[in-house]
Amino acid sequence: MNQTILSLHGLTKRFDRFTAVKQLSLDIFRGEIFGFLGPNGAGKTTTIKMIAGLLRPSGGTLSICGSDMNTDAGRCRRLTGYIPDRPYLYEKLTGQEYLNFSASLYSDTLSGKTWQAKADEYLHYFDIDGWRNNLIESYSHGMRQKLIITSILMLDQPLIVVDEPMVGLDPKSGRIVKELFRTKAAEGKTIFLSTHSMEIAEELCDRISIISAGTVIATGTVRSLREEAEHDNASLEDLFLQLTGAFELQGVIAALKNSRNTMP
Amino acid sequence: MTSRLLYPYLRINSNRLHSNGRFNLKLLPIALLGVVICVTLYIISWKTISYFQAQNELGVILSMKIFQMIWITIFAMLIFSSMITGVSTLYLSKDNEIIVTSPVTMSELYEMRLTTTFLNTSWMALVFSLPVFAAFGIVLEAGPWYWPLLIISLPATGLTASAAALLFVIVLIYIFPARRTRDIMFYLTLCFGIFLYLVFRLMRPEDLVNPEKYGQFIEYLSAVSNPAGPWLPAGWSANLLTTYLLDRQVDWLLLGLILLTPLILSYAGEMAMMRLFLPGFSKSQESFGGNRRFGSWMTSDKAWVWIFKKELISFLRDSKEWSQLFMIAALVVVYLYNFKVLPLERTFGTVYVANLIAFGNIGLSGFLSAALAARFVYPAVGAEGGSFYLIRSSPLPLSRYIFYKYLFYAVPFTCLTALLIGASNHFLQISGPMWWISLFCATVICWTLVAMALGFGSIFADYNAENRAASMGPGAVLYLFCALSYVLIVLLLGFRPTYRLMRGWISHQNIPLIDAVQLTIWGTGVIVLSLAVAFFICRRGLAALRPR
Repeated sequence: MNQTILSLHGLTKRFDRFTAVKQLSLDIFRGEIFGFLGPNGAGKTTTIKMIAGLLRPSGGTLSICGSDMNTDAGRCRRLTGYIPDRPYLYEKLTGQEYLNFSASLYSDTLSGKTWQAKADEYLHYFDIDGWRNNLIESYSHGMRQKLIITSILMLDQPLIVVDEPMVGLDPKSGRIVKELFRTKAAEGKTIFLSTHSMEIAEELCDRISIISAGTVIATGTVRSLREEAEHDNASLEDLFLQLTGAFELQGVIAALKNSRNTMP
Repeated sequence: MTSRLLYPYLRINSNRLHSNGRFNLKLLPIALLGVVICVTLYIISWKTISYFQAQNELGVILSMKIFQMIWITIFAMLIFSSMITGVSTLYLSKDNEIIVTSPVTMSELYEMRLTTTFLNTSWMALVFSLPVFAAFGIVLEAGPWYWPLLIISLPATGLTASAAALLFVIVLIYIFPARRTRDIMFYLTLCFGIFLYLVFRLMRPEDLVNPEKYGQFIEYLSAVSNPAGPWLPAGWSANLLTTYLLDRQVDWLLLGLILLTPLILSYAGEMAMMRLFLPGFSKSQESFGGNRRFGSWMTSDKAWVWIFKKELISFLRDSKEWSQLFMIAALVVVYLYNFKVLPLERTFGTVYVANLIAFGNIGLSGFLSAALAARFVYPAVGAEGGSFYLIRSSPLPLSRYIFYKYLFYAVPFTCLTALLIGASNHFLQISGPMWWISLFCATVICWTLVAMALGFGSIFADYNAENRAASMGPGAVLYLFCALSYVLIVLLLGFRPTYRLMRGWISHQNIPLIDAVQLTIWGTGVIVLSLAVAFFICRRGLAALRPR
């Protein structure tokens, strides 16, 4: 678990006068499932887009398996699979056509047609193998999410970057995704995922980082964070609220309860 | 390797053509319509060129001048549409999230974007210009090399336009600071306006009918027989073909220029893409989304107020939409300027011709309204996108929703029509009944065209389109065809009563009763026909929107 796969140092992103990510430094290791938590607008998606090569950092460095994103973006992209939170899929392609296209983009890194066997396996797990020859426009939101997860997992890259993996998935598929991520990690792949779900982070991640207002405020295992916060029995949600300063919402909750009690 | 990136484009189009392994029969009427348009264009072109050919030497030169003008106009249109499409495909395409994160090279991506931009922007211009150029070839009994030269020049000129536009867009997006990138469309449209103006001024179409401007007839002859736009690739194609049409000689230098220019521009574009695309792409994501804050205004709880407000702010806050106003402004200026420079007093010298042009101007303003309605009103229902469920599930009747939309668009279209008709009548020094006839007829046509655009837009609503421009599919072509047919019918029916009435008025400054009655019957007929057309198409649109 010591080989660094993803390394961020002093990573910063500014949009005009607004700084979305400030001096972010992290090292993520081989075979690790790393959770990236934070309230809405904290800078999670901006960070993920920089890792995926969609946004250029305003400062700092970002390297994947030793290759710098600034100088060797091509190799970084070959090593990374990116699953967005709201995937765009070509509506007029069938699921299988989409998978063919996706594999063709990474053809330099794939050996033969092994991806197809893996895709078949994942489609079967997700229970959408019967839909592979239907146009994507007829898919539900969850089916689209399953298809895009399949399109990345079948490529078997060393780093998989996932933005909100469970959006739109039913509990059965959610469970399958978790198991697939665990299996991938056991095979030595690294998963970097951003999520709002404390349950997923607690259940799945080896380590987590909590980001707030563009700054990482805590990094470690759930246990180490509990110790840091001096709350041995606290849930991750309580820790999250404490660390992100969201305990002010206790006041809001109390006010709502009061108004409910005073209702006629 | 570019073929792998073209795979979705090819499959998507193939899937559109075939459903369940069979040819999609829904496309058959559209294909037939295309054939009808091509045949009509051929017949009109053939008749016009034959008329010119029947004249003396001057007729031949004038027909060649028109030939050159068509090339330059098509090139100007292709440049502009390639610039707009280039920004959308290079920087705003949703599939960038998949492609840019994958290990494809920038040159591959460029080749794919260039190919799709070229095909998307050029196919219609190329297909519909072929019958026109074919008519030239037939009437002038072109030699055997005309056809291969035409087949080579047309796509080469289209590719030159697309490659030049993409190169321009890549450099422009790279140069401008991130916070200004969303204003790129503004600059693009401004550039296009200036370009269009220059093209028209350099072509000086009014000189064709103004021989008196030149001291000697020979000067006029040499002015009109000069090659048009020697600095434009479209001018090269036009000159190559006119030289061959007139002298049966192939200008190999021009042919070489025509073939080499797209290759050189593509190479330059590829180089620019490799060096400048990623920084520009990163910038575009920062700025097209925008972090601006907006205040609230005009508070009311009435549905129509909010539908108006929603339409207006959706338009004004989307720089891709409002920036096209500059293009419209440029078109209006060129439109009116051409009326201003018409040498009425010298060339025609008669009030009859001015009134004839004013009557024809009703059709021209109708054509402009139809084109603008196709761009702005037709996609209005589809533009609701996924949020249309809100309207459908609300207690607001769909008919009322459509009516509010109609009112929203009818107001600016009416103002534009009134401006075009009023100003061009002023330049044509029109007074008397023609002033009111043209205003009445153009206004009724404008209202009907807006209703038709809304109706067709509802029938063919595309809720998944990336933007308004992208939602203009075959339904928009059908709309334009029906709209132009309607305008032609109204004008053809009105020509005779208007002519009789105007003849009486110009000769005696009074209106004979019988002519006034005929004109009233025509006016009433226009209103009845317009109402019938508008209601019929809107009802069909409503039926398409209702849950089935």
